[in-house]
Amino acid sequence: MFRIRFHGRGGQGMKTASRILGTAFFNAGYEVQDAPRYGAERRGAPIFAYVRADKSAINERGVIDRPDLVCVADDTLVGMPAAGVVQGMDAHTVLLINSHETAATWQQRLNTEARVLILTATEDVEDRAELPYIGSRCAAAAAALTNVIERETLVAALTEELGHLPADVITQNRDIALRAFDDMKQHAGLVTPGSMPSASDYDRPEWIEMPFDNAAISNLAIHAGATSVLVRTGLWRTMRPVINYPKCSGCAWICSTYCPDGAINVRADGYPEIDYDHCKGCLVCVAQCPPHAIESIPEHVAREQEAEASA
Amino acid sequence: MSKQSPLHFHRMKDMPSTHLLGTGTPTCAGCGGLETLHTIYDILGEKTVFVNAAGCMTLLSVYPFTPFRGGWLYTSMASAPAGAQGVRDALDILLQKKKLSPDENVEVVVITGDGAAYGMGMSATSGAMDRNLDFIYLCYDNEGYGNTGQQYSPATPHAARTSTSRGSHGYPGYKKDLFAIWAAHNPAYVATVIAAEPLDLAKKIEKIKGMSGPRMLISLAPCPTGWDYDPQLSVEIGRLAVQTGVWPLKEYSDGEVRHTKVPKRRKPVEEYLQLQGRFRHLFEPQRDAAGIAEIQSRIDAYWERAKVG
Amino acid sequence: MTRKLLTGNSAAAWGARLAGVDYIPAFPITPQTEIIEDLAAWIDRGEMDARLVTLESEHSMITAAGSAASSGVRAFTATSSQGLLYGMEMVYTVAGWRTPFVMVNVSRGLASPITLESDHNDIMAARDSGFLQIHCATCQEIADGVLIAYRLAEHPEVRVPAIVNLDGFYLSFTREPVDLAEASEASAFVGEYDPENLQFKGNSPLSQAMAVLGGGPYSYFRYEAHLAVQRALSVYDEIIDEFEDRFGRRYDMIDSYRMQDAEYVFVMLGSFSTKARDAVDSLRAAGWKAGLLRPRVFRPFPQQQIRQLLRGRRAVAVIDQNISMGMGGVLHSEFATALYGTTDAPLLASYIGGLGGRDISQQEFFAMADELRQADERGEAPAARLLYTEHELTEMRKLQAIAQAEQAEIQQH
Repeated sequence: MFRIRFHGRGGQGMKTASRILGTAFFNAGYEVQDAPRYGAERRGAPIFAYVRADKSAINERGVIDRPDLVCVADDTLVGMPAAGVVQGMDAHTVLLINSHETAATWQQRLNTEARVLILTATEDVEDRAELPYIGSRCAAAAAALTNVIERETLVAALTEELGHLPADVITQNRDIALRAFDDMKQHAGLVTPGSMPSASDYDRPEWIEMPFDNAAISNLAIHAGATSVLVRTGLWRTMRPVINYPKCSGCAWICSTYCPDGAINVRADGYPEIDYDHCKGCLVCVAQCPPHAIESIPEHVAREQEAEASA
Repeated sequence: MSKQSPLHFHRMKDMPSTHLLGTGTPTCAGCGGLETLHTIYDILGEKTVFVNAAGCMTLLSVYPFTPFRGGWLYTSMASAPAGAQGVRDALDILLQKKKLSPDENVEVVVITGDGAAYGMGMSATSGAMDRNLDFIYLCYDNEGYGNTGQQYSPATPHAARTSTSRGSHGYPGYKKDLFAIWAAHNPAYVATVIAAEPLDLAKKIEKIKGMSGPRMLISLAPCPTGWDYDPQLSVEIGRLAVQTGVWPLKEYSDGEVRHTKVPKRRKPVEEYLQLQGRFRHLFEPQRDAAGIAEIQSRIDAYWERAKVG
Repeated sequence: MTRKLLTGNSAAAWGARLAGVDYIPAFPITPQTEIIEDLAAWIDRGEMDARLVTLESEHSMITAAGSAASSGVRAFTATSSQGLLYGMEMVYTVAGWRTPFVMVNVSRGLASPITLESDHNDIMAARDSGFLQIHCATCQEIADGVLIAYRLAEHPEVRVPAIVNLDGFYLSFTREPVDLAEASEASAFVGEYDPENLQFKGNSPLSQAMAVLGGGPYSYFRYEAHLAVQRALSVYDEIIDEFEDRFGRRYDMIDSYRMQDAEYVFVMLGSFSTKARDAVDSLRAAGWKAGLLRPRVFRPFPQQQIRQLLRGRRAVAVIDQNISMGMGGVLHSEFATALYGTTDAPLLASYIGGLGGRDISQQEFFAMADELRQADERGEAPAARLLYTEHELTEMRKLQAIAQAEQAEIQQH
């Protein structure tokens, strides 16, 4: 059975990717499961979708914990534990990352046994939450790597799944997807179906007897204030607002009031400060700042600059 | 609870510069509902219990994370006002029996979306007002069942596309007048607010802090996800809702309705509509002049009746 | 201690009064309404220091009871039948809040068809909610059951809400002599309400009843609630000893009547079980070794005790005043579960009786005993049976004739 996971951000089309690949497998004569993982998914927040395909009926269900292929639409997610990209990867897994960096860099950075491939980041957009075509590209690249889906089968699946879009958008998606398909053909067959767990040689689950806890402990209650600050929603951000302090008039904390998340506080000196651990990157502050003293820059660029500065 | 002068908020500089509501909640980037909530929380303070109904704000607290520094209780979609009743009555009993000092008293605040306020929870809300419950009710109205993917609700405006009104003319019904329905109960206070007008919002919160009885707020909550626009436009769209007269800012008490911020010259409603994907079919592929004119005429008729502006 | 004639509903109200409840969210429904009327009258006359608020539905009423208990006061409420079902979302929800309060349910058959009379399908619908369930057979048990329910529900190792169940009409509107505890004795037994760490107050952060993400935390909270409900078994035994010391009445978790050498056993819940007592006496007089077993506590389900009590008996008739459509009697299933795979288990026969207030006659008990004996001789349990006579069907046919039910059938063909 093929087990394939697509990781991206809310808005990048990972559900579409899983559906295109699912339909392609199906049209190629496979039994298929495809599904998005639903949760509190929001634009920019890490999400994933997955596809199973087999020649016989599929009994396995739920999240794929031992993937044959992991496709990552946005390389800023790879190192993010909450995104779960590397979960369950082993030497059998192929990790395909949409990135400007090299496979060797990622291999070293992740210190992983998995084989890393790069889906060369072609389109460069400011806001990665709006990466166009990435869903189609990921699906096409995955199809090529399995080596069981023909070019025409992929095109048919893509047309079927994107049928609600205008014709020119479909054409563009198809062309870009086929380029990714052709690029990946050199690695065709690198992704192979994984095996089922063995019933004769396995790790026994470490079951415990659930201890009894008094209600004072086991009730559904939080006895502390504002623990939500431990959740770093700043990881959703694809565009970063940056205050140009020389231009900032320290006006009247307009940015601080309008920030929906309350992620801009006013410092003792009267100037605002953005809490990047929690700023989701909505850019309301950029739009509202009277002297236009807040600029937006792509998050990945900001991080590269930070990395260079600290190096 | 301390009472500040109701005239505390004159200028933006008077707005709180540090924020009580914890960051890290899973609302969408640019959420107009959260924007209202954090402003209200800053002014009401942490001596509050928020009683939450099912909606987008269900996920404000996911164990073990909460943005609240005081109290919060999740109930169900239909019964948050009844939850508030139980909490308020319990607090009053404890105060009366001197098991709670006046200093430990808290304000009870219901928070629901429009799905609960305009629909499923309406009888519970009506009942709470009948009983003259001493509480604040905040409805964040994003004009649809947002947390399930923006299906139309009783608060959806005419012509809006939702995930259950995808036809070429959008939602055929008209937004229910919850302000009038609430005001007909003659509670202590009813107001419409919006986060994009923080001073108007702050003044109203300041005012109800010193009041008792049912204090009912409907906040139009621009919703980038459900209304289909770039999140950075949240405040702009909210402001246009006021400037075009789509969302009249007003308050009710003692049998009278007062408009609190009347647009001097109302902007054409299309300035508001055209920024939102849910109304795109009014402009593309062809401009639906009749459809836009109908929406405009209903707004004009409202202001004609209101005899202001 | 005073002894007086009280209806089951008044006994329930007295239980709440003696338990010193602070708060009563209410909503009227037949045959429960007298309970809240009594309480309202006492409060109005200044005889009871509590606050009663009529909500606009049972859904709201149960929400308010849970939220008040979660805010630090002792709450009481009561409902029945359709009302319990209307509030069912909140029955499950507030049980998960781990907030102790007592709700009296006056059992009444569920629609459709509509009836005002008693059976147990309403209370069975709350079976899996996380509420404790105490079932009463007499008005005395109701007054005492409410006090016991508070002690049990509020115990630090339990802390879940409890339902005290009584049968509509047969108890709710029926007067029987009841010994009422002295107020001081009752409050000494029940004690002060201790909200532990659940109470909203200034300068004390507390968020309650939120969502979880993932099956791990969800399983933990759900299973801990299950363990807490199970813990009520051992806690009940402690409480009941203390109750007996104080008031002289003993309420074992399972009321077993003439079980010593019983070969044939009736199993029932609630007030109809007193009819079975009479039947047991008559059968004994006729030379049968008959007995009766009645769980007072239905949640938690006293499995171990049931196994012990039924071990080595010849046959058991489980008489269900409820019906799970497509399966049969709920109590029968529970007993089958308890006994399956145990050694020396008796044969188990299923009878559905007393639906919608339908009486069960002494002769029917005798006939059931006879069927048990035949089954024992065959070594095979009989098919499930509805207690329903030829006469009843004849009467039913007369009603259908007026309704022209046959006419409709003819038109169809």
